[in-house]
Amino acid sequence: MLTITPYHFLILSILLVGVGFLGLLIRRNILLMLMSLELMLNGINIALITFSRVGNNLDGSIFVFFIMTVAAAEVAVGLALLVALFKKRRSVLSDDMALLKN
Amino acid sequence: MVSVALCMLFLPLLSALVTLLFLRKNGSFASLLSVCTSGAILIMALSLIFDRNADTLAWDTTWFQLGGWELRFGFLIDAPCRLLLFVVAFVGFLIHVFSLGYMGDDSARPRYFGGLSIFMFSMLGITLADNLIMIFVFWELVGFSSYLLIAHYFKTDESANASRKAFIVNRIGDFGFLIGIILTYWVYGTVNLNELADLADFSPSLATTTLCLLLACGFIGKSAQFPLHVWLPDAMAGPTPVSALIHAATMVAAGVYLLIRIDFLFTEDALGLIAFMGGLMGLYAGFCALVQRDIKKILAYSTLSQLGYMAAAFGMGAPGLALFHLTTHAFFKALMFLGSGSVIYACHHEQDIFKYGGLRKRMPLTAITFLIGVFAISGVNFFSGYFSKDAILLWAYNFNLPVFILLYAGAILTSIYMFRLYFVSFEGESRSEYAQGAKENSILMTGPLILLGILSIFGGYFSIYPIELGSFLRADLSISDALPNHMWMVVLGTIAWVVGLLFSRLTYSRVSNSDPLSKGLPAFFEICQSRLFFDEIYHFFISKIYDPFCRFLEVMELLFVSGLMVRGSAGLAALLSILSKLGYSGRMHTYVFWFLLGTVGFLIYSSGLINQ
Repeated sequence: MLTITPYHFLILSILLVGVGFLGLLIRRNILLMLMSLELMLNGINIALITFSRVGNNLDGSIFVFFIMTVAAAEVAVGLALLVALFKKRRSVLSDDMALLKN
Repeated sequence: MVSVALCMLFLPLLSALVTLLFLRKNGSFASLLSVCTSGAILIMALSLIFDRNADTLAWDTTWFQLGGWELRFGFLIDAPCRLLLFVVAFVGFLIHVFSLGYMGDDSARPRYFGGLSIFMFSMLGITLADNLIMIFVFWELVGFSSYLLIAHYFKTDESANASRKAFIVNRIGDFGFLIGIILTYWVYGTVNLNELADLADFSPSLATTTLCLLLACGFIGKSAQFPLHVWLPDAMAGPTPVSALIHAATMVAAGVYLLIRIDFLFTEDALGLIAFMGGLMGLYAGFCALVQRDIKKILAYSTLSQLGYMAAAFGMGAPGLALFHLTTHAFFKALMFLGSGSVIYACHHEQDIFKYGGLRKRMPLTAITFLIGVFAISGVNFFSGYFSKDAILLWAYNFNLPVFILLYAGAILTSIYMFRLYFVSFEGESRSEYAQGAKENSILMTGPLILLGILSIFGGYFSIYPIELGSFLRADLSISDALPNHMWMVVLGTIAWVVGLLFSRLTYSRVSNSDPLSKGLPAFFEICQSRLFFDEIYHFFISKIYDPFCRFLEVMELLFVSGLMVRGSAGLAALLSILSKLGYSGRMHTYVFWFLLGTVGFLIYSSGLINQ
């Protein structure tokens, strides 16, 4: 029977961040990219919780609360922007938004 | 008295300024203003000269300050200064009056008279200045006004080129002068003339030949001595009164005056060199003058030759004699230039002497005054040139025989070319319709001639000079009086002018349209006419050596400075920007990718992998 050590949690967190980043890189749909961002943030949260637990203090946990709050706000703003964008441009693909060049 | 001096100095500047600002279209007012100004200068100069309170007036104030170093602005009115002040103010005034007549029908009178006023300002500045830097500033200003006035008829190529030539050649001399001033400051720690005199007296070992030769560069440029003499004959392209004032009586003499002002700095070697060069110039210019056809060029070369006499006198340790000759020369040379101006004016600006002839009957006053000038410069006994020139010759005879031979040969030549000028222009038959129709000019032009003629006769009797003017001359002249061989020198001097007179009488009294010398002695004539190829040598140097060198430098500059350094550094920045612009795609994913790359790079850096 394997014991679950903090390392496992850290590996999980790295995997989540990696998957999120990969998603961010390869997805063209901005909705999915936002979701990938959320995934990365949560991966980081797991790592912070682990540190909090190992270090026997609440610093990491408090940080997590902040991150969750900010993430919630970010998603609200991001989704709102996305909806507005969709209404205007009829597309949620990031390729259609390369307007700053030229 | 200081306020009078300040007034006198700045009045002509003010007059030039008023002319420039308000009188540019009004020739009569401008000329009247300028003449009144020069009259006021004369009055103030006389009151300065005959101020009984002080023998030497020295005054200075701060001009401006740079850190701990300050430039003084001051006057040093001592005996030589008073004499030159008199010459400048008096001759200047007469020439202003003459200009009223000569330039009466010129369309650009405001420019001309404004230029004369600026010249008076700068020349007075040189005369009064008490330190070398101030002298240099006014030195450049006379150069500028000379440029301005030579280029009066700027529509002709001749005067446009002549003005540039005068300016550029003078720059060469002034460059040496400037280095000399800097070196003086380096060595002595001051440029004030009085302090310099004290220091030079206190520690004679400080004086070096290099230093005084560099300072003499200023004299060589301004007084048109070898090897920078080429500008003066060309400068005759300007109006004749300008030639009289600037290129005969005052500005070119300023070079000699500068030497006299700083004579305590000179070493024996430098003096010997200057004396020899002066003697050589006296002879060389005589040969050149002998074959010229242009009346003003003859006078220009004669000026060169007389300046050579002054330089020789100075070089032989007799600055008093140099200043004495400067004074008499200013009178008789201004007289002859104004006389030639009168002739030129009467003959509708014809300057070739072989087209004159017979002018004595038509312009008796001009002819008589001109003859007085010729007598004076040839050293005919008891005219002014006799006293000053023979004093120099006597001095040379006793102290420096080689220079004496040069100067004596020059004296014979002087009387030959001067009598040639007189006989060809004023005697015989008129050889052109202009000369036949010539009439005597108005009192505005003959008046100055008569006054200068009187001075050319009596200017040599230095015992009638007031003590204020003559005190500087007295020392050297009394030495020269006491020298041996005095009678012998009188005989030699008389022989010189009689030979010249007879030779010219025989050769030139019956001429047609060509110079008898060109048939009689063609080889000699050609050599003299070539002026020893100085202009050609300079032209060759500039076009074949100097210009290619400049072009080489230009290419190097294009290649290295503006190419490699200026364009190069800009090009490097441009290259970097082109490269970094490649990363700017406008797509979100590229940026995410860059972000990943950055994060990874940062992680690698912070993990310390690179350092191992």
